[in-house]
Amino acid sequence: MKRVAITGMGVISPVGNRTTVFFSNLMTGKSGVRRMTSDFSSQLSVKIAAEADFYPADYFSKKQIGALDRVTLMALAAASQAWEDSGITLAEEEKNRAGVYLGTGMGGSPSLDELFVQLYKKAASRVNPLFVPKIMSNAPASHVSIRYGLSGPCLTFSTACSSSAVAIGESFRQIKSGYCDVMLAGGTECLLTYGSFKSWESLGVLATEDPEDPSASCKPFAKDRSGFVLGEGAALLVLEEMEHAQKRGAKMLGEIIGYGSAADASHIVRPSAAGQARAIRLALDEAQIGPDAIDYINAHGTATAANDLAETQALKEVFGKRAYAIPVSSTKSMHGHLLGAAGAVEFVAAVLAMTNGAVPPTAHLRVPDPDCDLDYVPNRGRTGVDIKTIMSNSFAFGGTNAVLIARAL
Amino acid sequence: MDTFQRIKKIVLEKIDVQEDRLTPDATLEGLGLDSLDRVELMFSLEEEFKIKIPDREVTIVTIHDVVNVIDKLAEEQHGEV
Repeated sequence: MKRVAITGMGVISPVGNRTTVFFSNLMTGKSGVRRMTSDFSSQLSVKIAAEADFYPADYFSKKQIGALDRVTLMALAAASQAWEDSGITLAEEEKNRAGVYLGTGMGGSPSLDELFVQLYKKAASRVNPLFVPKIMSNAPASHVSIRYGLSGPCLTFSTACSSSAVAIGESFRQIKSGYCDVMLAGGTECLLTYGSFKSWESLGVLATEDPEDPSASCKPFAKDRSGFVLGEGAALLVLEEMEHAQKRGAKMLGEIIGYGSAADASHIVRPSAAGQARAIRLALDEAQIGPDAIDYINAHGTATAANDLAETQALKEVFGKRAYAIPVSSTKSMHGHLLGAAGAVEFVAAVLAMTNGAVPPTAHLRVPDPDCDLDYVPNRGRTGVDIKTIMSNSFAFGGTNAVLIARAL
Repeated sequence: MDTFQRIKKIVLEKIDVQEDRLTPDATLEGLGLDSLDRVELMFSLEEEFKIKIPDREVTIVTIHDVVNVIDKLAEEQHGEV
């Protein structure tokens, strides 16, 4: 069994398009949630979103922008940061043992939306020939593999809100079991379209806008929580077999030591504390550590009534009394729910907590819920904290629970 | 605007290239367009000129070829350019 190092990270998010800015904004409780800039928002009851201030023209040529959906452009921008961050170069013969695993919930949604407008609104008899390669969910992973010439396995995982956590976990297994030496792993999501908002709105899980401050609308673990805010973004990590990384003197951001994957197998949307607990235990078992070893947990923390309660119960079930001593925060309170990209963006936040010795807060937690009584790091981040081991949770619609554990090196 | 100018305008919207490189003998391949880019360019030209470029093999190598094909099809398909 091989060891797996994290040697590079990149992020495109509603709170920053570089890991440094991203983390410093999280630490100051800065929220990327705001009144939407899209003109269709007048036809929605939910008018808030966590939009990424991402302008493709800053990164790409006209040809690339015309040929690629925004979901792919974000993935490529995050990949480029991660690749540069890692300082890695691969010899031709090494590229066969380097792969790309990405997670996405909906793939090329903006292009899909454009297609429907052309078909149903404009009654087009023929449509742009690039729609298929733009919309297909595997486009982001494929374009990343093309960009870096990575000819190992190139896969796309779609498990709703845990997609990119799954992608990272499966990449960890690829390296651990010796199939690959390098993996670019993470996720991307870009579905702030009219159809998407209408659908999510109808489900009743989106946060009602805070009347005093729209940016404070997502309140995980609080008594006055009302759901999540949709966001867009991407995060990619370079994962490397430990000896491969050591040989080239790579900077080590951490080591992935556990991945728990377990299905609720109970309900298509309602979470199960038992299913979540199972995934947490599997991750701890693989990491060969007990509950006492975890120093920080980045929660799934969607701020729905159901999730936050189930997650609290799951943590108590696994950690017992120790649960009360572990700082647990939901950074979704600030960057929003990035769906397929959430797992990766939040894992990046957790690794940054470890490398910075700082715990980001759960923002907007002003009214505590007696049923959610753990230490959620309310409102103010903490610096000067010794964080050796972190856990990141992702619990999805459909029931795929993914838990990742990493430790400092 | 004549056919050549209208084609240049579309190409300039799609790729980052200096306008003075878009001469009649510039080849599509030389401008960096691969087969997928060509398919997409043809679609945009069909929309612009309101013509249908047949799926059968049409020889288009240079911008001059594009002008000729469009002029010919526009005349055939709606008696004007």
